[in-house]
This record gives sequence, structure tokens and C-alpha cells, in this order.
Amino acid sequence: MYRLIAMHETRALARTWALWAILALLVFAIAFAAWSGGRSVSRQLKGAGDAASYEVGLRDRMRQETAEYEAKVKATGGPYEFATVRHAPGQGPPQGTNAGAVGAETAAYIALPPTGLAALSIGQSDIQLDYLPITMGKSLAMTANAELENPVNLLAGSFDVAFVVIFLLPIFILAMTYDLLSSERERGTLAMVLAHPVSLRKLMASKLMARAAIILLVVTGLGLVAVLAVGNYLETPETWLRFALWIIVTLVYSMFWFALAVLVNIYGQSSSTNGTILAGAWLILVVIIPTLISLVATTIYPVPSRMDLTVAAREAQTAAEKNMDKSLNAFYAEHLEYVPAGDQRAMDFMTLGQASANTIEKALSPLYAEFQARRGQQQGLVQRSQYLSPAVMMQLALNEISGTSSERYEDFLQQAAKFRTEWNDYFAERFLRQDPLRPADYDSFPAFRYQPEPFSVVLKRLAPSLSGLLILLLGVALVPLPGIRRYQVAAR
Amino acid sequence: MLEAIDLRKSYGDHAALEGLNLKVKAGDIYCLLGANGAGKTTTINLFLNFIEPTSGTAMVNGIDVTQSPLETKRYLAYIPEQVMLYGNLTGIENLEYFARLGGHAEYSAADYQSFLDRVGLQANAAHLRVRTYSKGMRQKVGVAIALAKQAKALLLDEPTSGLDPKASNEFSALLLQLRNDGAAILMATHDLFRAKETGNRIGIMKSGRLVQELSTDEVSHADVERIYLEHMH
Repeated sequence: MYRLIAMHETRALARTWALWAILALLVFAIAFAAWSGGRSVSRQLKGAGDAASYEVGLRDRMRQETAEYEAKVKATGGPYEFATVRHAPGQGPPQGTNAGAVGAETAAYIALPPTGLAALSIGQSDIQLDYLPITMGKSLAMTANAELENPVNLLAGSFDVAFVVIFLLPIFILAMTYDLLSSERERGTLAMVLAHPVSLRKLMASKLMARAAIILLVVTGLGLVAVLAVGNYLETPETWLRFALWIIVTLVYSMFWFALAVLVNIYGQSSSTNGTILAGAWLILVVIIPTLISLVATTIYPVPSRMDLTVAAREAQTAAEKNMDKSLNAFYAEHLEYVPAGDQRAMDFMTLGQASANTIEKALSPLYAEFQARRGQQQGLVQRSQYLSPAVMMQLALNEISGTSSERYEDFLQQAAKFRTEWNDYFAERFLRQDPLRPADYDSFPAFRYQPEPFSVVLKRLAPSLSGLLILLLGVALVPLPGIRRYQVAAR
Repeated sequence: MLEAIDLRKSYGDHAALEGLNLKVKAGDIYCLLGANGAGKTTTINLFLNFIEPTSGTAMVNGIDVTQSPLETKRYLAYIPEQVMLYGNLTGIENLEYFARLGGHAEYSAADYQSFLDRVGLQANAAHLRVRTYSKGMRQKVGVAIALAKQAKALLLDEPTSGLDPKASNEFSALLLQLRNDGAAILMATHDLFRAKETGNRIGIMKSGRLVQELSTDEVSHADVERIYLEHMH
């Protein structure tokens, strides 16, 4: 019986052209979103790769010069010296022996690798740099150039697959379901059907089953195609684990909209009333509440202006420069490459540069800490108020599954800060001791290895959003059950 | 086959049906006459369990409708004033769906076609979408559904209102066929002529009560109209 009604419903739905139009829109939107997400991820990967290989190239050249110098020293029997000054080419030790020059003038690019599903949810990755240059002297506050003033993006999001799932999928679902019972009652077919040995509950369950099967097919089908087309690391089980989670939360989110449509239908209003109520619910839950949460977050916890950080950086720099006796010193400290070959003051300039960088970092750190704290508070508020809207829960869940959540980024920043200290210490120490770098040392430079978070951490962070969605679904789905008995089949 | 015992239905203070006692045996065509709001549709809805009685019992084939609503619906066929079908399915697809809903999955495509032939649906119409059907065509599909369901009792709610005389006449002929096959038919109607012509028994209802029962072979057309109007004043 369930099968018979479900098959019948599928056939009737398949002959409704409006649904095909919405489905086509959905397919087109997902295709475009996946393409754009895939492009942004591959641009990120390419950017990180290009930047890293450029810097590696610089160091290779320095190493090459050092190797030639070492060979020459071995042949002539002279001492292996530290390049305190920039020598004319071919004369004296090369810059590559100077740890300060290597550590500050070349950067180590460290990258937060995207997860296999990164292309499906851009999250905040378009405003957070996924690769950072780490150099000696420069603080992370200067380089981790996250756009701190755009928490709206967390809620509104960019046009990615997550956006399509959160905004458009409910519309497709509601278009199929808003008149689940009301249209049959209005057309009079409900009485015809219920004159047969079928209960209303069974009829409704079958109608829902047909629609749920369509959604299951659409979601897994489109999701699978999107992952195969623009996903990464398809050979690792983690990607498929993430994809399974993606399917689960998307289906739970879909079921919520089905349940809401049933809840509204069971009160026996007309199709147009049901449609209006559901459209209003969509507007409130998907658009208005997320916007309000974002507004409240930015009002209660305003992040200091980005300009303040820049101004503070300038002021600190000016103050540091004042301590240098001449502006020429300051200029050379910043632009070592212009120090004339053979100038003995080069070493002083460099030390000054290092000192000024330290001063700037000290001056900036309270402001940077405030940025971090405010952003943390905003995100905390979003986390706590996500239960007001399934769309916010869904956004947070999809970000987490795609590895574009702010928590994962925070973890990366912490790893970056640790590595930055390691890199800085290694070169500063050798530089200040004037310990010449040998070609073999180039192999023992600190290297960044991203420590992936254990998958249990991902699951733990996903739990609040997913369980929130499940509880909401259960609540909405259970309310109509008693009402089914009272549903008016026939007019009085 | 159809039996109402002290059947009552009230909505708040308003009594839509006040203690109806009625019996329709196999081979009967029982016509319920009465003004709008007399309780004819309420009676039919009670037999279909679309509404719950305030008190009393509605029985189909000796089974209480409220006790086993799904069981009793296996014997029933329902033809409302407008037989509403799925507009974007064809006549034959609608018939097949409803036959299967009624628990009859045994028919072949040829069987469905022959049901539609028996009720006189134009041969080329079976494969057209029902959206394009006239009311008369849809009423015929309604009868075909009853045939396919092998219904023992038919509940008809003003099935001929709005049909032209020829279509109405054809419909009556179909009812007589069904009666001859042994079905019990309860029909609410305003058509006194058709009631006397087709029915063998007539019940006149007023304000939720059955005020008089007649056998059609004992009265003339003029009698039916006179008695009916007497009650309405």
C-alpha cells in the first residue's frame, strides 16, 4: 500500500512542470556553486604552492652560493666566514651564510590544507588566508591578514554549495510539500482516496516517503557529483567520512522542512494559507534570524576597526624608527637589499631592523589580542544562538564538515604562531651569534608540518549543531501526530 | 448491507442528524431526498467514517464503521457530486490507482479498458488526461472504480446534479446494472423524477430526521412531488 501510493505520488509529481523548473534551478545553482567553490580551493592551493616554491627558490639560490663559497674556502684553505656585509658578487662570503638574511628576507609559507570537501562550503576561508608567510622579525599580527570585520560572512555566507543547500533546498522541499494534504482536499481527491481502505496517516506517510525518496536521490546524487567533480583527496577515507556526515546533516535539515510542512498542513488551512505560512517561516528561519544574530553579535561585541590596527602599526613603527639615529638607518634597516656592497654598517642595520620589529610586535600585541578576543566572543555568541535557526546550525555544521570552520582556523593560527616562534628563534639565534650558515644547515631549517586535528575533534565540534537539528526535527515532527486524528476530511 | 441505528451527529448545539434509522439491502436503490442541510451528506459521511457519530451506529455489511473503518471501506464505493480524479493522470491510470487502493491488483490493462467500456466512456478518452474530461465522463470513471472494486454498497452524493438529461439517463442505467449485480445503493439526490425512475425506495429527510419512507412502485411521479413538498412546508 505504501509503495502503491508512493509510486502514484512520484508519478503525479513527475508530471508537475513547476517542480522540474525548481529542480533545474537547484541543479544549476549547485553546479555553479560547486564550480566556484572548486575554483576557489584550487586557487588557494595554487597560491600557496606558488608562494612557497618562490621562497624555496630564493633559499636554493642562497644555498647554491653558500655551497660554491664552501668549495672555494676548502680549495683556498681560508676561514668559513659570516657575511656581515653584502659583498659584491664573487667577493667575500655570500648572504646565504647570514642567518638573519635567510630568515628575514625569505619566508616560509605555511598552509592550512583544505579538506576533501572544502569546495562545498567556503565558510570564512575567503576572508581568512589559508597560507601565511612566516619570516624572522615580522609578527603574526602583521601577516595573518584575516579580514577581521566581516562576521556577517559567517552567517550570510558566499555562494557555495552550502548556501544552495541552506537556502534553495528548503524551497524545493516546500514546493513539493506545502499543499501535501490541502491540495488533495481542495481538489476532492482526498475523499475519493479515503473512501478506500487507507488511513489518513498511511496516506500521508506514503506521500512523504515519495518526496523523501526524491530528496534523498537529489541530495546524494548532486552531492556525489559535486564531490567527484571538485572534491580533493578522494582516495582518503576521511573525505568519504566527511561526505557521509554531509549527507546526514543535509537529510536531517531536509526532514525538518518536511516536518514543518506537515505540521502546517495538519491544521487544515487552505493551500494558499499553508504556502504563505511556510514562505514566512522560511524567510524568518533562513534569512531574518541569521541576520539578526549577526547584527547582535557585531553590536554587542564590536571588533575594533581594522584601521586602528594599521594606525597602531604605523605609530609603533614610527616610534621605533625615532630610536634610530638617522632616517637613512631606518631606510636601510627596512631595505637591506639597497645597502651598498661592502658597507660595514649592514649588520647594524639588520640588528636595528630586528629590534624595531620586536618593538612593533610588542606595541601591536594588545590590540591584536583584542581583535582575537572580540572575534572569539562573536563566534561564541553565534555558537550559542545557533539553536534559534536551523539555517545557522546547518551553516556551522557544513563549515565544520568541510573544514572551513573558524575553530579549525584558530587551531591553524595557533600552529602558525608556534612555528613562527620556532623559525624566528632558529635564525635570530644564529644571526646574533654571527654563526655562519653552511649549505648542510639548509636541510635543518625549521619546517612546518600541519598537525591535522583528530577526527574525533571534528565530531565533537559538530555535535552541538547536529544534535540541535535533530532535536528540532523531532520536536516539529512529533507535534502533528495527535492532530492527524482530528483532520477534517469532508466539509461539514 | 447499509444500516444506520439511532445515528446522531451534532456540532455543538446544532444537530445535523437526529436518530436516523435506515436499512439498505443488497439490490436496493435507496434515494434520500431533502433540502440542503437536511442531513443527507452527513449520513453518507458517517457511513464513510469521514466524521464520527455523536451516538448511534453506522454498519456496512454488518460491521460497525467506527470500529473497523478500513475493513468497511473495502465494501464501499463513493461517488460524490463531483468525482474528483488526478488531473494529470489519464482515465485508465486513475482507475488502476483506485482499484489497487481498493485492494484489487489482479486486473490487466485489458480489464481496466473493459471497465471503462462497460460504463460507456468514449474509447479514445481512456488514455487522455482526466483534466480534459467533462463531468459526465468523470462520473463514469467513478462508476468504473466501483465496478473494479466490486463494491457491495455504493454511497452516492447528488451524483447526477449538473449532468445533462442524456448523461443523467446513462448514469441511471449504470446504477440499475450495478443493482442487478447485487449492490446496495444509497443515493442522496434532489432529482425527484430520477428518484422515482431509478430507485425502489425513497426516504425524505428534514432537519436531520427521516420523516417518511416510500416504495416507488406504490406511488406515482406526482405523488412523490406532492408528498415531498408537503414535508418541506
